[in-house]
Amino acid sequence: MLLINNLSFFRDDNIIFENLNLSLGNGQITQIRGKNGSGKTTFLKVILNILSSNTGEIIWEGQNVKKNIFKFYNEITYIADHNTSSRELSILDNIKFWKGLSSSNLSDDKIFSLLETFNLKKYLNTEIMYLSSGEVKKLELLRIVLEQKKIWVLDEPYNHLDDSSAEILNQTFVDHTNNNGIILFASHYNPLISKLEILDFN
Amino acid sequence: MFFIKKIFLFFKRELKLFFRNIVSIFSNILFFFLSIFIFVFALGADEQNLKSIGLGIIWSLLVLSSTLSLRKFYEEDFNNGVLVIIHMRGISYELIVFLKILSHFLFVQVPFLISIPVASLLFNLPIYEVYNLIFTFIIGSLILSCLSSMSASMNLLNKANFSIGGIIVLLFSVPVIIFSVGINEVDSDFKSLINILIGMALIFLGISPWASAAFIKLALRNK
Repeated sequence: MLLINNLSFFRDDNIIFENLNLSLGNGQITQIRGKNGSGKTTFLKVILNILSSNTGEIIWEGQNVKKNIFKFYNEITYIADHNTSSRELSILDNIKFWKGLSSSNLSDDKIFSLLETFNLKKYLNTEIMYLSSGEVKKLELLRIVLEQKKIWVLDEPYNHLDDSSAEILNQTFVDHTNNNGIILFASHYNPLISKLEILDFN
Repeated sequence: MFFIKKIFLFFKRELKLFFRNIVSIFSNILFFFLSIFIFVFALGADEQNLKSIGLGIIWSLLVLSSTLSLRKFYEEDFNNGVLVIIHMRGISYELIVFLKILSHFLFVQVPFLISIPVASLLFNLPIYEVYNLIFTFIIGSLILSCLSSMSASMNLLNKANFSIGGIIVLLFSVPVIIFSVGINEVDSDFKSLINILIGMALIFLGISPWASAAFIKLALRNK
């Protein structure tokens, strides 16, 4: 279980969020909603320890995340609001890099089937710079499945996706939560997922 | 074992990016050669004159050329979040910087080694000076990679005036040039000067991963 206790973050004396409490259990999916500038991305970055909170603590499996950061990172994967694929490398090069880096044991057959699902298999040897925004986004989403981590943290995962791809993403989320995974994402999109919980930042 | 594999993967990715960006590496070498030609034409055909100042010019242009690719050191990996993702997969920012310095040395600085003997011919440098130049460049370019890393990480959020990054490298490369060129002076103690250069390289190699990692973390907090 991921526990967030009394978390506050200030920037130049402006309160971005204050005394925030949240618990995320196995199989739970939570969406952060809020208007632009309400602190959704900042909150995700604080959870990932990219930014340091002013007060409060984050506990994962009974241990303070800051003191056991690499243990926590071993359980978590992150999709930012921008694409982390290298523009000059092909889809295959990026996949090989992410797979090796996360020590994933996902089989090649499974990876090819995911590429087929996201309609990316035909661009396997195409450099990322030649793909559309939606296709790059789908590759990013493929990375979270590829990395096989328990906690998924995603910032605007539905951006640039068409309806059918959004539907695939919804199903991927459901499959992950059914396997006791934990998902926390920030988005303006309202997905149709039955057990979705909302954290309102407005 | 997994950790070694991750480091191997890192270098493999850097090698692939090197081959995709090979045109920009050649552009830097071309800049170096054209600048050498301009100097040769500007100074005239006095062989003795060229020989006496050739080494200093070659070193100055090597430093200038290496500042051309400064912006690319971290910029893309920082902007698209690759640095964060690599860090999340268990590699500290300090180690990422160290690996980046090594890959910059291998894939950006080492290609200049090919151009040094040709440039030396244009200035009619004696063979022992060419050997010394190659030897000092191997050590000096490692220092330049460390300086480039610190300068590039310092300017990650500086979108307006990146020339300051080049100024930092040029400023701190002065001692490298002094000791590298000084080796060829008649009364210089070769061994002592080489030891000083190696010492400087080790100090920079020790300091720059911590300094650059601190700048990267600072930039990530303010991104």
